[in-house]
Amino acid sequence: MNIKSELKKSWIIMIKEFKQIFRKKALMIPLFAFPLIMIIFFGYGMGGTVKNVDILVVNDDTGTASSSLVQEIGSFIPKYGDVKMFSITYTKDMGQSEAERKIDAGLYKAVLIIPQDYSERVAKNESVTLTLLTDSSDTTSSGIIINFMKQLFAGTAGSLVSLKIPDIYGKLEYLDFLTPAVIALTVFFGTVQSTGYAIAGERQDGTIVRIMMTPVSRGAVILGKTLHQLILQLARAVILILGATVILGVTMNGSWLLVALVLIIFTFGAVGLGIAMSAISEDMTSFQQLSLLFTLPSMFATGVFYPLSSVPDWMRWIAYTMPLTFANNAMRTIMVKGQGLAFIANDLIILIFFAIFYFGLGVYLFRREV
Amino acid sequence: MEPIIEVRNLTKIFLSRRAKVTAVDDISFDVNRGEIFGMIGPNGAGKSTTFAMMSTLIKPTSGSIKVSGFDVEKEGDRIRPIIGIVPQQYSLYSDLTARENLELMGNLYDVPKKVMKERIEYYLKLVNLEAQADRFTGRFSGGMKQRLSVVSAVIHDPAIIFWDEPTTGLDPQTRQAIWKLARKFNTEGKTLIFTTHYMEEADKLCDRVAIMNVGKLVALDTPQNLKRASNSASLEDVFIHLTGEEIRD
Repeated sequence: MNIKSELKKSWIIMIKEFKQIFRKKALMIPLFAFPLIMIIFFGYGMGGTVKNVDILVVNDDTGTASSSLVQEIGSFIPKYGDVKMFSITYTKDMGQSEAERKIDAGLYKAVLIIPQDYSERVAKNESVTLTLLTDSSDTTSSGIIINFMKQLFAGTAGSLVSLKIPDIYGKLEYLDFLTPAVIALTVFFGTVQSTGYAIAGERQDGTIVRIMMTPVSRGAVILGKTLHQLILQLARAVILILGATVILGVTMNGSWLLVALVLIIFTFGAVGLGIAMSAISEDMTSFQQLSLLFTLPSMFATGVFYPLSSVPDWMRWIAYTMPLTFANNAMRTIMVKGQGLAFIANDLIILIFFAIFYFGLGVYLFRREV
Repeated sequence: MEPIIEVRNLTKIFLSRRAKVTAVDDISFDVNRGEIFGMIGPNGAGKSTTFAMMSTLIKPTSGSIKVSGFDVEKEGDRIRPIIGIVPQQYSLYSDLTARENLELMGNLYDVPKKVMKERIEYYLKLVNLEAQADRFTGRFSGGMKQRLSVVSAVIHDPAIIFWDEPTTGLDPQTRQAIWKLARKFNTEGKTLIFTTHYMEEADKLCDRVAIMNVGKLVALDTPQNLKRASNSASLEDVFIHLTGEEIRD
């Protein structure tokens, strides 16, 4: 069979898949609403931003620079909220270890320690270092606090003021952090599930036998199903990013083309994984259980909802075996940091390896199936 | 008589829970061009396995099958376009219409657009589904599904039709219609091979009947000759005589 005829067959299969999916009216809603609902519930539910966070400011300085700084922190109202972000308590003459104990006790989410000579040094244009302690058990809040403080110092007093932070995670606001990963997660879940269901379902209904009896190669069947997924998932991603930016005001700093590139490579791997899992399961129910075994850990271990830096080492190692980890990272680098190809090259290479491995595995297992 | 299918020393061994199960045990026979060939046997006799091997769905462990001169193991790509298979399950896309199901099969079989359009109209009329052409098949009755399933298998005008239990679970009217359809295909020159549990069906319809039992071919002849040889009034008696009264699972 020549390539033209192979592609024609793939096209026929793809069109069939689209006809089938668009007729499942009830499926349309979750298909497009699921990721948005996730962002809204997790984003706002888990604290899209933080409000009235208790912060202790240890200010041993009596100058004007420090008091205006403290005032600025106290009056800040975040982008996605309408309430002040911090509720400040003042004290002085407190050492770092004592301040840590306050955080241990859950009294404050963060402690900012301003040195005695802060105002003096700022006035003289000398470098000065502040210490920021955060409650690392609450990664969401601490990430947001750290990020806020960094931006504050970058903006107000120039590069001379530096911040000493015991541990660092979190970039921008939580919704910005969450959205790129939810898109990757949605593409991953959606692809694995719908590919697997389509194949397990066709096997259960016996239609796969009929298709395989026609002069169509297994490659053309797989390619047709893959093309269908690529188009569907890219459409979902575009709608989702537009929805998140328009409705939720999430930032999209990077290139749409790069987002598409990452998602295309990622979808290939996910299609392969879906095919492989459906090939080794006897029916729809076993596929469902098997796919949950793969997708659920991905959801929680790969840093969709919280930064990977906050998980224990063993979990981080598990995360590095999952393609979603690298897709999340690449999506964040593009969408949040607005970086280009050079910054996602490593993630992309790893994703390509995953894609080749899973797609190859899927094709191999599907071959032996009928 | 010219053979269209040649089965030689065919054996299929499955591995089931690490035990070897011989489903088909060294059988040889020919199916002649243009005949209606029936395969009967108790459950587990190996007829479905033989059927699946002849239609390229599974590979033999040893022995050979030639379909229209092509080897099933090496030349499956040459065989598939000239055979049509009516699976036991109706195997239709429930979220596509009757017409779309036929179009899908026609497209995959590379049937030219114009020819396909005519054939679809012809077959829908033939099986009395014209009025239901644009309805989703998910809502069809068993009989309607079976009729559509049959025409889905012949949309590319195959020389050989493999038909697995054509009338199981169907009402008498649909059964009669299916038999009529089978005879019609046969008079058009197509070779029909089917499996069945109904002796009456085999008796009425088949030119020759192969009786299988525990993987072996125990008899192969015309229904009349089979009855005569065992001095039985019905094919059912021949069947029980050859395969025993024990119930198989």
